[in-house]
Amino acid sequence: MASVLRRRGRIQVKVDSRERQALIGILDSLSPRLAAPLAKAPRAYDEADLQAEYDRWVRPDIDKGREADVNMVRDALSGGEDTLPLTEAQALAWLRAFNHLRVAAGEILGIEGDGWEDTATDATKQRPEYGVLIALGYLQEELVAAMGS
Amino acid sequence: MATSTTPTPTKAPAPSKAPDRQERDQREFGWNVMVWNDPITLMSYVVLVLRRLFGYDHATATKLMLQVHNEGRAVVATQPREQAEVSVAQLHSFGLQATLGRP
Repeated sequence: MASVLRRRGRIQVKVDSRERQALIGILDSLSPRLAAPLAKAPRAYDEADLQAEYDRWVRPDIDKGREADVNMVRDALSGGEDTLPLTEAQALAWLRAFNHLRVAAGEILGIEGDGWEDTATDATKQRPEYGVLIALGYLQEELVAAMGS
Repeated sequence: MATSTTPTPTKAPAPSKAPDRQERDQREFGWNVMVWNDPITLMSYVVLVLRRLFGYDHATATKLMLQVHNEGRAVVATQPREQAEVSVAQLHSFGLQATLGRP
């Protein structure tokens, strides 16, 4: 199973060929859905004029950054290596990308409240997006632990 | 040519309506950055983000994360508007649900 280590100040993701292919598959399938949850997210401002400015001047950079994070993960996974060394900045990009992917998976599953792990039906647990939530959640926890150690 | 010996009255400038200091300070410096609960984002990830973006220690970041989780939202910083907007944009880039507003 994929794991994250911290050695001599460097973070390393260990992920075998099968896992890399699975992760690339997740990236490819969910990337087109990454912007959808943002439509339901709280607006930055209550004031319409300030929100319009935010959407015009700030939001595009956030969208570009999200794409860049996902592409960084995809490029690293496509390199053919089992051990992927990450800088702190790269590890943060991986965390952001995984979070965006998990939010998109949750959106597809229609998750709207806490406790979904306890209330998911067997049918839900069989869906690929549920597997994404669990697998990427595990990797996120590993990365957070490695960054905090 | 008639000349006037009386000075032309000059119109006194209207007194500038200086904004109330407290009101101005609140407008410029008192913007709350608020994080909202969502059911997907991991608690440990929220703690890490709050530590990285705002420099909180682990205990403070954990306390704020739990407030978000239990109460649905928490004010994680109060800053001048431009800085608060940057903070919200950073939180959005990490995938957290965040807003800014006056107290």
